[in-house]
Amino acid sequence: MNEATVHALIDDIGALLLFSMILILAADQVYRAIYAVAAQSLLIAVAAGVLAMATGNPDLWVIAGITLVVKAMVLPWVLHRVVQRMNVRREVEPVIPVITTLAVAVGIVVMSFHLSASLGAVRQAITGNALPVGISLILLGVLVMASRKKALTQMVGLFASENGIFFTAMAVSKGMPLIIEIGVILDVILAALVMAILVLRVRSTVDADIADLDRLRG
Amino acid sequence: MTGERPFALVLLEMSFLMLLGPLVTGIIQKIKARLQLRQGAGVLQPYRDLAKLFRKGTVQADTTSGLFRSIPVFVLAATVAAGALVPVFRGGPPAVPLGDALLLLGLLALARFLTAVGALDAGGAFGGMGASREMTVAPLVEPVLMMVVFSTAVAAGTTELGALAAHRSASWLLAWRAADFLGFAAMLVLLPAETGRIPVDNPDTHLELTMLHEGMLLEHSGPGLGCMLLASHTRQVVTLGFVAALFLPASPMAAGSALGFLIGAAAFIAKILVLALYLALVESSYAKLRFFRIPQYLAVGFVCALSALALRIL
Repeated sequence: MNEATVHALIDDIGALLLFSMILILAADQVYRAIYAVAAQSLLIAVAAGVLAMATGNPDLWVIAGITLVVKAMVLPWVLHRVVQRMNVRREVEPVIPVITTLAVAVGIVVMSFHLSASLGAVRQAITGNALPVGISLILLGVLVMASRKKALTQMVGLFASENGIFFTAMAVSKGMPLIIEIGVILDVILAALVMAILVLRVRSTVDADIADLDRLRG
Repeated sequence: MTGERPFALVLLEMSFLMLLGPLVTGIIQKIKARLQLRQGAGVLQPYRDLAKLFRKGTVQADTTSGLFRSIPVFVLAATVAAGALVPVFRGGPPAVPLGDALLLLGLLALARFLTAVGALDAGGAFGGMGASREMTVAPLVEPVLMMVVFSTAVAAGTTELGALAAHRSASWLLAWRAADFLGFAAMLVLLPAETGRIPVDNPDTHLELTMLHEGMLLEHSGPGLGCMLLASHTRQVVTLGFVAALFLPASPMAAGSALGFLIGAAAFIAKILVLALYLALVESSYAKLRFFRIPQYLAVGFVCALSALALRIL
């Protein structure tokens, strides 16, 4: 594949990533957010595959495989199970209304494009729109984490944010060293498992919600 | 101005769209019925309904003013005029300067405004409520449609719909830029709203508190109601044609030849059918949204359209 095709493909995948992020932000049911983040991880895997084909870097194939198996299949499955086990209301409970979150999201997207446009010559060297898309994914993931009450949806935000970091790293530097990538993925898996267990335990032993932990401040 | 579509062709396209409109509605209803494991009425049912309505007399509320009688004609005229701006058989700008995508959206907005005025004029409770709801949804939909138009217009350097379609025919899905994906996503979110379908509006119900468009038609009867229904069929096919012109490939046909003409017509019908299938699937798989949730649904389209613009400009 020549350079221009790869750039165009990464750009297109970036647009779809942004769309899946908007779906996560707008989801009013936990299941939909989980499906959207699974689709997003799938897109990240595709992006890694495209870059692997373009650069011939075998590490990227490994990354693509791990992303596909772990982040697009296993983690969404874990989340899905937790939702089933918890047997709670399946609506997302936002701290601020979803429509406000979407308005903030618009600001974030425009700002990240504006900021990376100001990089000028540096941005030209980086694959197309990958940098602003990556930045907005990271920030929007943080926004999801900050604006949702339930730990589950906060986990979805964490995954989305992590996807953004991956996408930026892959597109900007044509892949990080394998050991770092695997380290990041392990971190996320551990975080997900710990949070899943915590959520289940907290619910089953004290029947509290994450929002109730507010009162524990000393 | 030298265009590629002579005026006669534009007129032909306009009447073709008007005749095709009820058929598209019929097909969507048929698909929905089959998805619900019903036999459903034939695809020609909307034509029969219209024929029946045009044979009937008119009953009118005492409270209506003189304007009320002419509202259906104005609405139909505005919608059909919008149809003249949609490229059907081939891309390329028309030979006479008619207007662009913005005028098309403006004419549709005019038709919507007139419908609401007619509903308020009759003074019925349902009409007033339908009008107020429609006027709440419209300002959320129309600016986003404009933004989608702009996001493609920036790339093609024109807002003329025929020229936009011709630009698209040179570059189809493989050449879709990132902004096109987001713009198309925004369009898919908005399409049910603009054609008055679930999850925003429900075209199948009368006398329900959830409806928007149908509520405004309650006071009309006979030929007037027929005009209003024909206008909403036409509006639907015009909107679908508008989306097809913006995002789907136009037929690459040689000017004037009869074969190319047929291929163009077949391609157009195929594009409309794909979009109609999408509408039917969405209608069958989603529930009608609570009215106060609609802004949240439409905000998804807004964010998508804005990101598409950001991708294109920044």
